[in-house]
Amino acid sequence: MAEITMRNIVKRYGDGFPAVNDVSLDVADGEFMILVGPSGCGKSTLLRMIVGLEDITSGDMEIGGVRVNDKAPRERNLAMVFQNYALYPHLSVFENIAFPLRLRKNLSEEEIHTKVEAAAETLELTEHLDRKPANLSGGQRQRVAMGRAIVRDADAFLFDEPLSNLDAKLRGQMRTEILRMQRRLGITTVYVTHDQTEAMTLGDRVALLRKGVLQQVATPRELYEQPVNMFVAGFIGSPPMNFVPARVEDDTMHLPFTSFPLPDGLREAVGEREWVMVGARPERFEDASQLDEAALGRGVSFETHVDVVEWLGNEQYAYVPYDSPDVQVEGMDELVEDLGGEAGRTQLVVALDPASRLGDGATATLWFDPTRLHIFDVASGENLVAHVAVDADGAEVTPESSSPADSSATSPPSSPPTSVPA
Amino acid sequence: MGVDGRKTSNWWTVWGLLILVWAGFPLVWMASLAFKSPETFRDGVPTFLPTEWTWQNFRTVFSDELFTSALRNSAGIAVIATVLSVIVAMFAAYAIARLAFPGKKLLLSMALAIAMFPQAALVGPLFNMWRGLGIYDTWIGLIIPYLTFALPLSIWTMSAFFRQIPWEMEQAAQVDGATAWQAFRKVIVPLAAPGVFTTAILTFFFCWNEFLLAASLTSTDRARTVPAALSFFTGASQFQSPVTAVMAASVVVTIPVVVLVLLFQRRIVAGLTSGAVKG
Repeated sequence: MAEITMRNIVKRYGDGFPAVNDVSLDVADGEFMILVGPSGCGKSTLLRMIVGLEDITSGDMEIGGVRVNDKAPRERNLAMVFQNYALYPHLSVFENIAFPLRLRKNLSEEEIHTKVEAAAETLELTEHLDRKPANLSGGQRQRVAMGRAIVRDADAFLFDEPLSNLDAKLRGQMRTEILRMQRRLGITTVYVTHDQTEAMTLGDRVALLRKGVLQQVATPRELYEQPVNMFVAGFIGSPPMNFVPARVEDDTMHLPFTSFPLPDGLREAVGEREWVMVGARPERFEDASQLDEAALGRGVSFETHVDVVEWLGNEQYAYVPYDSPDVQVEGMDELVEDLGGEAGRTQLVVALDPASRLGDGATATLWFDPTRLHIFDVASGENLVAHVAVDADGAEVTPESSSPADSSATSPPSSPPTSVPA
Repeated sequence: MGVDGRKTSNWWTVWGLLILVWAGFPLVWMASLAFKSPETFRDGVPTFLPTEWTWQNFRTVFSDELFTSALRNSAGIAVIATVLSVIVAMFAAYAIARLAFPGKKLLLSMALAIAMFPQAALVGPLFNMWRGLGIYDTWIGLIIPYLTFALPLSIWTMSAFFRQIPWEMEQAAQVDGATAWQAFRKVIVPLAAPGVFTTAILTFFFCWNEFLLAASLTSTDRARTVPAALSFFTGASQFQSPVTAVMAASVVVTIPVVVLVLLFQRRIVAGLTSGAVKG
C-alpha cells in the first residue's frame, strides 16, 4: 500500500528525444490512476519508469515516500501485468503464480500453497493450476498474470495495456473484473491504456498525455466536461468532439452553418479574438423536431443538409458536411493526426435520438444550446470557457464517477454492455 | 489449384527420395561392408549385401586397443568440449542478444571470421606451439582448438534463440523480485533449452567427427580420437584388408550420432520452430 509521487519526470533517449517531458503526478494511496493518450505519447514509458524497467533521466520518483530512482525493479515491490502477459511458458499456472513467492525464500511450501490457492480461488483458476499457459485461453492467461500480481502483497499494481490482446467481449468482462479486484484490495493502481472506454470506466482519475507532456489530470467526468485544451477535448468522447472554426463579430458568432448571438459568459471568454475554435460534442445536438417549444427557445436551431445517417439502435449518428471558411488554424492538422482522424474533412458528426427519422440526404433542422459549447483559442488550443456553472443545472446527470470511498455502491459512469458476473 | 497442389507435392516426394538415396547410400554401404567377413569381401562375385552376415568385424575392432582407447578419447574430448562450449556460448550469446556493450559488432564479426578461417592453416603453428607448451597429444590440446572452432557457431545459434525470447519474460521476472542472475537461470535458460540442446548437439557432432586436428595434434593412444584412429587401422592381421573392420568401427561411431538425433529430433525441430510464447 503506497502512494506514488512523480516530480518533474523526464525521459530523454540517446538522440535527445524526450519521450516523457517534465511530468509531475501524484497517485494517492488506493487510487486507480489511468495513463492514457495516443500511441507514442510516453504513457508506457512513464509506467516503466515507475516499475524501474526504464531509467529516469531527471526528476524524482517516490513510492511510499521513498525515492526509488536508483532502485532495481525487484526492490520496489510493485506488481506489473504486461500487455502480452509475460507468463512463463515452461511453468504450470501454479508455478507461475508462485514464482514471485519462491524468489522471496522466506516462505514455507505450505504458505506458498495457501497463498497461491487463495489467489487462484479469487480469479477462478483453481481447476487450471496444473496446466501450462500455452493451453489456456486469452482470458485465463490474463487472469494468471493478475494472479501473479495479487499473490505477493505488492505496494501497487501496474497494468500495461492488459486488455489489448483480448477480443471485444472478453475485454468488457475483464475490465469489470480488474475494477472489482482493485476495489476489493484497495491497492494503488496505475493503468496504461489507449482505449478511452477503459480510461473513463476504470479510473478514479485519468492522466492524459500527448507527446510526453501531461495535458490534464482529472476525474473522467471533469475530463469530459471541462477539457483544458482542444487535444483533451478531442481525445475524450466518442464519436469525437466536432471542431468548427468560428468568427466573432461584435456579439455575434458566425459558424459555417449558422450564426447566433453569443451568450454573455462566452462573449467574455472570447475577448478580443476574431477567430476561435468552437468545440461541440455530437451529443449536444438534437433534432429540432423532437424537442418542445420551451427547449427550442433556449438554444439555436439551424437548417442543414444531412449527408449520411448511421442508425445503431441506441443512438444514431448523422454526418453534416459544411463549407469551411478559408482560415488556417495553426497546429490543427497535427492535432487531428494525434487524435487519429483524417485532416481536411469538414463535417459535423451529430448524435441524435434514435427515434428521429432522418434519412440519408434529408434536410433537417438541428438544435444546440450555445452555452454548452466549448471555445478554444486558435493558436494555443486552450479552453477559454469553464463549464462548471453549466453542468450545475443538472439537466443530464449521469451516475457520479466512482471514487475509492463509495466504490462498492456505484457503478462506473458508462457501464459496459456486458453483464457483470456476480 | 488441387491438381497443381498434387503435382507439386509429387515433385517434392521425388526430390525427397532422390536426396534420401543420395545421402543414405554411403551409410547403407558402410553397414553392409561392416557385416561382411574380411574373406568374402574380396570374393570374385561382388554383392551389395553380405552373402553371410557376421559380427566378426565388431569383435575385431573392440578387441583392438587402438579403437577402444580412441573411443574413450573421442567421447571424453567431445563431451568436455561440448559442455564448455555451450556454457561459454550461453553467456556470450545472452550478452550479445540482451545487453548493449562496446565492441559487440567486433565480437560478432570476429566470431564469424574464426568460423570461416581455414583450419588447415592453423595446423602447423598449433603443432609447434602445442609441443612447446607440452600439451601436444593430450586431451586439452584438442579441446582448446575444438572450443575455438565450435564457439562461433554456438554463439550465433544461441544468440538467435535468446533473441526470440520476449524481453517481457525477463522484465516480468525482475519485477517479480528476481535478480538478473535468477531471471537468467529460472526463466531465460529454461526457455532457451531447445536452443541450448540444438547447439550442444551440433557442437558435439563437430567435435566427434573432427579429423584434421585430431590427426595432426596427436601421436599416440593418449588422445587420438576415432576419426584419426581409423586411418591407422590394420585389421586382424597384416594380411587382411582392414576395410571391413574400418567400416565396423565407422558404424560404431555413427550410432551415437544417430541415437542423439533420434532422441532429440523433436527438441531440435521444436527449438527451431517455436518461440511462440504469446498467442
